Amino acid sequence: MSLRDVLSPFTAWKHVINDPVTIKDPFSREASDRYRGFHQNDMDKCIGCGSCEEICQNAAIDMVPVEGQNAGPGDSGLRPMIDYGRCCWCALCVDVCMTGSLTMSNEYTWVDSDPDAFRFVPGVDAKSWDLEPKGYQREDERRLTGTVRAPMGETCPEDRIGNFDEIVDGFTAEQAIIEADRCVECGLCVATCPAHMDIPDYISKVRDGDYEGGLQLLYETNPFSQACGRICTHKCETTCAAMHEGDAIAIRWLKRSITDSVPRERYFDLIQKPDVPETGQSVAIIGAGPAGLTTAYDLARKGHQVVVFEALDKPGGMMRYGIPEYRLPYHVLDHEISVIESMGVEIRCNMRVGQEISMDQLKTAYDAVVLSIGLHQGRSTRVPGSEKAEAAIDLLRRITAGEEVPVPEQVAVIGGGNVAMDIARSMARLQKIKHGKVGVTVTALEELDRFLADKEEIEEALEEGCDIFPARGPQEILVDGDTVTGLRTWKVDAIFDAEGRFAPKYDEDDEMVHPAGMVVEAIGQMADISLLGAELTEQLEWNRGRIMIDADGQTSEPWLWAAGDAVSGPDVIHAVADGHRVAVSISRMLTAKREALQ
Amino acid sequence: MRELLYRLKDRYHFGTPTFQRDDLCFVTVKRSELRAILTELRDVEGFTHLTLLTAVDWIEEQQFQLTYMINNREANLTLALRVMLDREDATGDTIHDLWPTAATYQRELREMFGINFPGSPRVDEEFILEGWTDLPPYRRDFDTLAYSQQTYHDRPGRETHDPKTHMQKVLYADYPKGAK
Ligand SMILES: Cc1cc2nc3c(=O)[nH]c(=O)nc-3n(C[C@H](O)[C@H](O)[C@H](O)COP(=O)(O)OP(=O)(O)OC[C@H]3O[C@@H](n4cnc5c(N)ncnc54)[C@H](O)[C@@H]3O)c2cc1C
Ligand code: SF4
Ligand code: SF4
Repeated sequence: MSLRDVLSPFTAWKHVINDPVTIKDPFSREASDRYRGFHQNDMDKCIGCGSCEEICQNAAIDMVPVEGQNAGPGDSGLRPMIDYGRCCWCALCVDVCMTGSLTMSNEYTWVDSDPDAFRFVPGVDAKSWDLEPKGYQREDERRLTGTVRAPMGETCPEDRIGNFDEIVDGFTAEQAIIEADRCVECGLCVATCPAHMDIPDYISKVRDGDYEGGLQLLYETNPFSQACGRICTHKCETTCAAMHEGDAIAIRWLKRSITDSVPRERYFDLIQKPDVPETGQSVAIIGAGPAGLTTAYDLARKGHQVVVFEALDKPGGMMRYGIPEYRLPYHVLDHEISVIESMGVEIRCNMRVGQEISMDQLKTAYDAVVLSIGLHQGRSTRVPGSEKAEAAIDLLRRITAGEEVPVPEQVAVIGGGNVAMDIARSMARLQKIKHGKVGVTVTALEELDRFLADKEEIEEALEEGCDIFPARGPQEILVDGDTVTGLRTWKVDAIFDAEGRFAPKYDEDDEMVHPAGMVVEAIGQMADISLLGAELTEQLEWNRGRIMIDADGQTSEPWLWAAGDAVSGPDVIHAVADGHRVAVSISRMLTAKREALQ
Repeated sequence: MRELLYRLKDRYHFGTPTFQRDDLCFVTVKRSELRAILTELRDVEGFTHLTLLTAVDWIEEQQFQLTYMINNREANLTLALRVMLDREDATGDTIHDLWPTAATYQRELREMFGINFPGSPRVDEEFILEGWTDLPPYRRDFDTLAYSQQTYHDRPGRETHDPKTHMQKVLYADYPKGAK
C-alpha cells in the first residue's frame, strides 16, 4: 500500500467546504442544450416518407394517418408516431429525416402512470416542449443520404449541333449505382407517376445490379420504358423525398440505365407472352402511338387478337414523328415496338382509318375499337399571312420521314413549349448541316421563366445557338409574293385578362420584325377527327370539343374506347396509363360477352 | 506533428496521414510495428496518455480497424494510429503493459466486436453485457432491429402504414396496376 492510498481519504475532507456539485432540486433541472429528449415534428415540413421508421433500430416508429394531414403530391399524409417504451433516444431518425422536420427537444422528464401516454405523434399531439428551441438538431451539413445527383454525360453543343445523334450518354453502371444508392425507397413518387410504376423497386434492382429483374418490373407497368427512360416528362421527380434537402433522384435516367443494360435479344426471353388461351375475340386499335400500342400489348397478353391500324409509314406516333431523334433514337423505338409485336400484336401501317378502311367496317369486324389517334393537326395563329406558315408537327414528321424540307438561313418559330424547342433545335441542326451556321429565332408570348418548355430544353436550345425572344406576340407573317420574309411581333403586356381568360394585350409601339425565310407555328395541336364521319360524330357525346369518355376510357358508344392525347394527354406516360386502363375495361367487357355466350 | 511523422517514417511504414486539425492526425500503421511505434511515441516523444482505443467494422473489406488515440499533453498533440486486422481472425496485440487502462478497452472490444487480445487481463470476462449469446452487437452483421424486436414487447394496438400502399389506397385505388 502506497502512502498516497493511506492519505487520500483524509485529503478528500478538504472538499467539505466547497460548493456541492450535486443538484439541490433534481426534478426541475434542465437538461443540457443538445440533450436528446422527446421529439418535435414540424407538420408543415414532414412529408410522411417514413424514412424515420425505416431507420429506427428499435422499431419505435409507426407511420399513422392523422387528422388534418392529407395524402397528396409528395406527401403520404402519414406521420410518425413514436413508442417511447422502445425509443433509445439515438436520434438516427432525426439524422435521416428527409426534410429536417424531425428534431428533438431537450425535455426528457415526464411521469405518467398510463404507459400508452408515451405513444404519441410529435407535432400532432400537442406537448409542452413542442416549441422548445433547445435539444438535438441534425448538424447542418450532415446527411445520411447523398444530396447530389450523380453526373450525367452529354455531348457538348458544338459536337451535337451538326447532327441528330443522341445527346445524353446514359449512366455508366457505377454512376447508376451511386445514384440508386441515394433513394430511400419511400415510394412517394409512385403516386405521382401516371402509370404508377414501381419506382423504388426498380431502383433497388439497379442497386443490386439485377437489370434483368429490373426490366421485368418495368414491363409490368410500362411497355415504353425505353422511351420513357429517355423522354419522360418525369413528374415523379417533382415529388421525390430527396429534393427537400438536395437533388431529386434521377428516376428517369435510372429507368434508362436498366433498359440500356439488358442486351436487346434478352428482352424477348424476359418479356414473354403469358400462357393464356386465345379468346377468339378481336380488337381494332386506331393509331400506333404509345396509347394504342400499350392497349394492344395488354390485350394481346390476355389472349385477344389485336390489330393496330396506323396511318403513317411506321408505328410509334409522336414518339417517332414528333420527338426528334437526338432525344429518342429511332432504333430504340423500333426495338421497343418489336417487343410489343412479339406478343402477337399485328400493326398495319399506311392504313388510315377513314380512307383505307372505315369506322363502320371496324365496328362490324371487331369486338371493340380503340381510338388512339393523338393530336396531329397543328393549330394556327391565324394572323395575316399565317397560311404561309409551316406547322411544327408537319415539319417534324417530314424530317423523320426523310422528306426534303426547305431550310432557309433564317427561321422564326412561334411558341414557347417543348414542341417549339424541338422544331427550333431540329431546324438549327439542318441549318448547320446545310449552311454551316444556325439562324433560329424563337418567339413566345410568355416571359422566359413562364415558358411551358422544360428548362433543359430552353438551355440546350440557347447553347445550340437559337435566339429566344420572350413576351413577343405574332402580328403578321410577312410575305413577298410567294416567299416568306419575316415575322412581325409586338411586345406582350399581359396574356390573360382579369378573369384569367386568354386575351393578350400588346404594346403596339414596341414592334419588331424578325427576318425569316420560314415561319413555324408551334402553338398546339388538335385531333383530326375526320375519320369518324358525320353519323358517328353526331352519335358520340362530346365535352368541349373532345370525345367524352368515362373513367375507364369508354366513349358513349358501347363498342368504342378512346385513349391518349386525343382525349387526355399530355405525354407518353399518360398515354401508357390510358392504354392500361382501356385494356382492362375492354377485357372486362369481352369476358362478360364470352360468359354470356356460354 | 508533421515533422514528427517525417522523422519516424524512415523506420516505420506509415500510410498517408490525415490531418483533421493541426493538432489531430490519423495515420495507418502496420500491425507488426504498432507496439514499437507506441512505445517510442510514449517514451521518446511524450505521448504519455492513451485517450481511447476503439474499433470500426469494415465488413465489406472483411477487416476490423483498431484506432489507438494517444495524446502528448505538453505539446497538446493528438495522434491516432490505425491498425487493420483480418476480420475472420479478429485478434489484436494487447498493449496493457504499455498502458494499464488499455485492458479495459480491450475487454470492451472483445465483448462488443469479438476482437480478442490474448494475454490482456480479464479479457474474457463479461463487461457490460450479461449472459450475451448472440453475435457481438457492434459487428455490422448483428441485426439490431431483429434483436430489439425479439427482446422487447410492443405496446398492444400498434399499427403502421406503408406510405406507398397508403397513397395507392387513398389516391388511385381504381387504377389497374400492371398488365397482369
Ligand atoms: C414534338 C413533340 C415532342 C414531344 N415530346 C415529348 C416528350 O419529350 N415526352 C413525352 O412524354 N411526351 C412528349 N410529347 C407528347 C407525346 O408524344 C404524346 O403525348 C404521345 O405520343 C401521345 O400518344 P398517343 O398514342 O395518344 O398519340 P400519338 O403518339 O400521337 O399516336 C397517334 C397515332 O395515331 C395515328 N393516327 C392518327 N389518325 C389516324 C387514322 N385516321 N388512322 C390511323 N392512324 C391514325 C397517328 O399517325 C399516330 O401514329 C411530344 C409531342 C410532340 C408533338
Ligand atoms: S431516437 Fe432512435 S430509437 Fe428513438 S425513434 Fe428515433 S431512431 Fe428510433
Ligand atoms: S423522415 Fe422526416 S419527413 Fe420523413 S416521415 Fe419521418 S419525420 Fe416526416
